[in-house]
Amino acid sequence: MDLYPFFDWLDTSILADIAKAYGGVFAVVQMFHLLGMSMLGGMVLVGDLRLLNILLKDVPSEQVIENTQKWFNVALAIVMTSGIFMSSAVAMKLYYNEMFWAKMTSLGLGITFVYVIRRPLLKFKHDTLNPWTLKLIAATSISIWFTVAAAGRWIGFS
Amino acid sequence: MLNELLLTFAQWLDTHQWSTDIHESIYMYSWIEATHVLTLMIFLGMLCVIDLRMLGVIFPNVPASKIAQRLDKPMMIGFVVMLITGFLLFYAIPVRSTQSIWFRIKVVLLIFAGINAFMFRAKMQASRGTWDLDPVPPKRIRIGAAASLLLWSGVVITGRTIAYDWFDCHKQLPYFMYWAAGCVDEMAAIEH
Repeated sequence: MDLYPFFDWLDTSILADIAKAYGGVFAVVQMFHLLGMSMLGGMVLVGDLRLLNILLKDVPSEQVIENTQKWFNVALAIVMTSGIFMSSAVAMKLYYNEMFWAKMTSLGLGITFVYVIRRPLLKFKHDTLNPWTLKLIAATSISIWFTVAAAGRWIGFS
Repeated sequence: MLNELLLTFAQWLDTHQWSTDIHESIYMYSWIEATHVLTLMIFLGMLCVIDLRMLGVIFPNVPASKIAQRLDKPMMIGFVVMLITGFLLFYAIPVRSTQSIWFRIKVVLLIFAGINAFMFRAKMQASRGTWDLDPVPPKRIRIGAAASLLLWSGVVITGRTIAYDWFDCHKQLPYFMYWAAGCVDEMAAIEH
């Protein structure tokens, strides 16, 4: 599916007009993107490091996952909303940027992984799951979200 | 006087071959900057969880001190990496950074955030027995946590805006801005 029409529309949308005309607004939104990314990273790391038995070992992992999931949703909403606005400023440039597509692919993978695999699996009592399944979930999650963040940063360099 | 001293120091750093090497390398500067930004997820991520607990909005059933103690180590690892990479980024572009209003505000905010963290920790230790298990900590602790989040957000924001040249010395700015940014030559030009 070619997303060119969407990027073409985004490039001339009101969002793009604001982002291109007001550098200050773009910068503020970019800051929220960074803060959202930090929060998302914190929630992913605390949850996954608990599943790996590295952090908060004396707190039940179910409790850690339940608490971090809520704030992960908030962080993801901040990152995605601010991300769409930021993309509008350079929509056509991003359409032809390989690193942007690497980020979008890993982001899509990350969201699918969280809501289709990680969450449904972790709804079970964790001691009923194979310990290696928990470790595999955690390692996969950290790897995916690290890739999302790293690819995102590299868009600026490419 | 302080502006001249800072500029002289930055110019001295700028004469170092390593400074030029990092600045002019194709990938090294990008790697250092990417590490600096990505480590935010560790440092600020952990800090965010601790402060949200102190605000009473996450882990209400886990003692606040336990969250703070357990996340302290990874947070400090993140902080040290950010400090080292941050210094290298400054070292690579010392003159422009020294004359950046955003960099200067960032350093001031870092100092305030450090003082707040020190006071926050002291307050926490002094009253641990009284509120540690409370789902929502007392007001003074929540204020400290909110201040921490705001100050560190400010550090991130000003760190990001260093990249923008809105108030760089080569721009036409009011005298006060030249003074605040440490634009020594531009101030001298106005004075004479």
